[in-house]
Amino acid sequence: MTADMSRGLNRIALSTVALVLAAVWGLPFLYSVWTAFHPEKFSANFQWNAPLTLANFAEAWQAAPFALYFLNTLILITIVLVANLILCTLVAYAFVRYRFRWAGLLFSLVMVQLLISPEILIVENYNTLNTIGMIDTIVGITLPYLTSAFGIFLLRQTFLTVPKSLDEAAQIEGAGAWRVLWTVYVPLAKPVYLAYGLVSISFHWNNFLWPLIVTNSPEVRPVTVGLSVFATVESGVEWSLVNAATLMTTAPLIVAFLIFQRQFVANFMRAGIK
Amino acid sequence: MRLYTTSALPLVLGGALGLGAGAAAAADLEFYFPVGVNAPAVATIDELTSEWAAQNPEHTIKPVYAGNYEETTTKALTAAAAGNPPQVAVLLAIDIFTLVEEDVIVAISDIATTPEDEAWMDSFFPGFMKDARFEGKTYAIPFQRSTPVFYYNKDAFRAAGLDPEDPPETWDEMIEMGKKLTVKDANGNVTQWGTRIPNLGLAGAWMFGGLVVSKGDVLSADSGTEVSIDSPASIASLEFLLELAEEEVMAPGGISWGDTPKAFLEGQAASIWTSTGNLAFINENADFDWGVGFLPGGDGPGAPAGGGNLYVFKDATDEERAAAIDFMKFMTSPENAARWSIATGYVAPRPDAWELPIMQEYVAELPQARVALEQLPYAEREFATFQRAKVTQFLVEAIESVVTGDADPAAAVEAAQEKADDVLGDYR
Repeated sequence: MTADMSRGLNRIALSTVALVLAAVWGLPFLYSVWTAFHPEKFSANFQWNAPLTLANFAEAWQAAPFALYFLNTLILITIVLVANLILCTLVAYAFVRYRFRWAGLLFSLVMVQLLISPEILIVENYNTLNTIGMIDTIVGITLPYLTSAFGIFLLRQTFLTVPKSLDEAAQIEGAGAWRVLWTVYVPLAKPVYLAYGLVSISFHWNNFLWPLIVTNSPEVRPVTVGLSVFATVESGVEWSLVNAATLMTTAPLIVAFLIFQRQFVANFMRAGIK
Repeated sequence: MRLYTTSALPLVLGGALGLGAGAAAAADLEFYFPVGVNAPAVATIDELTSEWAAQNPEHTIKPVYAGNYEETTTKALTAAAAGNPPQVAVLLAIDIFTLVEEDVIVAISDIATTPEDEAWMDSFFPGFMKDARFEGKTYAIPFQRSTPVFYYNKDAFRAAGLDPEDPPETWDEMIEMGKKLTVKDANGNVTQWGTRIPNLGLAGAWMFGGLVVSKGDVLSADSGTEVSIDSPASIASLEFLLELAEEEVMAPGGISWGDTPKAFLEGQAASIWTSTGNLAFINENADFDWGVGFLPGGDGPGAPAGGGNLYVFKDATDEERAAAIDFMKFMTSPENAARWSIATGYVAPRPDAWELPIMQEYVAELPQARVALEQLPYAEREFATFQRAKVTQFLVEAIESVVTGDADPAAAVEAAQEKADDVLGDYR
C-alpha cells in the first residue's frame, strides 16, 4: 500500500466521522424545523408530502408577548456584554501589566469564582437585589453578571501572550497606559473578544431560572421565560408548538452566528498564521 | 423601553381606589402560578384574576407566571427568604410539608374562621383535602387537581376482538386483554403495545402510588414523617410492572411520561395510564374512537391525587390575608372551578361545580371527563413527606432500578425504605 493510498483512506475515514458527527448534531435541529412547520399529527410521522403550515408559529407567537420579551433580552444581553467587555478588559490589563501586592492572591480569588455555580447564589443575590429595591428590573437581572471571572481569566491569558516589546515600543512613542491598552492589547485580542462575546451572548440569551425568579412583570422578562410556557409537564408535550416557539426564540442567535461565523473563523486563522 | 418597573404605581392607584371605596381595606396581592398543562391556561388565569380585580376595585392583584411547579416553589421560597413573598401561590399539594417546615405559609383555617369560611373549606371533595391538611389544620385549598385515568383506543379493542365498552378493571384483566392488544409485524417486532404505564422519574412515582393504593396501602402517611415503601402492596405493584413487560403487554425497561400521550395518538400503545390533564389534548388530536376508564386495580380501584393547591403566605398583613381569602373563594367558586376545569382538564375540586349547566354540557360533549370524578372516591394522597425531594428520589430510584432489571423488587424497596427512614427519623 502506498503512502498516497493510505492518505486517501485516512481522508475518507475522517470525512465519514465528520459527516456522522455533523448528523448527530444536526438531526435534532432538522427535527425541530420539521415539526415546527408541520401540524402536530406529523411530528413523528415523516411523510414527504405532509402539509406545510405556519400555524404553529402564529399560535406560539400569540401565547406570550414575544415582541416585548425579545426587546428585553436584547437590552439584557447588551448591558451584560458591554459591562463585561469593559470591566474584564480593565481587570485583566491590571493583572498583566502591573506588579502589585497580593496580585497572585487576588487572581486566585477571581479564579475561585469559576467553581461556584450561579444557581447556589440565587437566594443571596435575590436578597441583595430586594434590599436595594431592584427586584423586577432588567438592570437587576444583569447585576450579578456585570463582570465575569471567566472573561477576566480569558483576557489575562491572552494579554500575557502579547510581546512585551510591543508594549515597550508603544511607551517609547509616548503612549500612556490607556493608549497602550487601546492600541496594542485590545486589537491583538480581537478574536478572543469575538469568541467571548458569542459565548456570553448565548449564555445570557439562554439563562432562565435567575430571570424567572427575580422578575414578576412581563415588561422586564426575557424570551426564555416566554418559551417555558410551552414546557407543559402534566399534559403531553406538543412538539410542533414547542419547536416553533424554540426556533422563533433562537433564530436571532442562529442568524447572528451565521453572520459572524466567517469573521470568527477568519480571525482564528489569522491568529494561528502569525 | 422601560428598564425599571414602576411597582409603586399600582400601589398608589390601589390606595386611591381604596380610599374611594371607603370602608374596605385595600390590599395589593401578588399571585404566583405555574403552568402544568397547555399554554392557554395562562390566558384563563389572567381572565379570572382581572374579573376578581374588577369586582373588588379596592384591591389589586398581579398574577405572576412562575415557571413549572418546581420553579414556582423555588421562586416563592426565595422571595419568602428575602421577606418579599407573594400573598397567594399555586404550589404542589405535596409541597405542604416543605412549606410548613420553612415556616412560610399560614394555616388557612387559622385566618378564615367564620361559619361561612368553614362551609367553604368543607365544600371540596374529601379526596382533595387529605393533602391540604396537616396536624388538624387546613393549609391549602384545592385548585388545579388532577388524577390519572386509563385511556384506551376503542378501535384497537375492536380489532383485537375485545368489547370496546368494557375496559380492564383489574391487573389480571389488564394482562389478559393486553396480550391480545399487543400487535407484532411479520418480523416479530411489536408495532402496538397493549398498555403503557410511565415508570420513570417523579411521574413514574406518581403512577406507582396509584398501583399501591389499589392494593390497599398508601406510600406515605398524613404526618409526613412515615413512609411504607417496603410494604407487600409495594412489592406486588413492582411485580405487576415486571409481569406486564414479561407478558409483552408493555415495553420492557423505562417508560417516560412526556411521550406517553403521543404513543397513544400514534397507535404505538393501545392504552395508556396518564393524567386527566391530557383530556383536551387527546380529544383534539385522536383520529380514532377512544374511551376512558378507571385505572385497573390490584384488589380494587385506586388512584393517586395530584396537582396543585392554593397557599397563603405568612408575611401578609391582615388586610392582605382577608383579600387573599376572598380571592381564593372567587377562584374556587363553583362557576370558576368549572371554567378552569373545562379550559385545562383539571378535575373541578367540588361536587357543586359538576352540577352547573356549563359543566353538564361539557360532560355531555366529552363523557370521558366524568370518569375522573367517579374514580375520585378511590383516590389517595400522593407520596409526600418532609424533605420531599430527597425522599421521593429514593422511591424513584427503587422503581427505576426494578423496571430496568438492575434490582429485584424486595431488595429495592427495602433499601429505599431504609434511606427514607434515615432522613425522616429527625422529624418524628
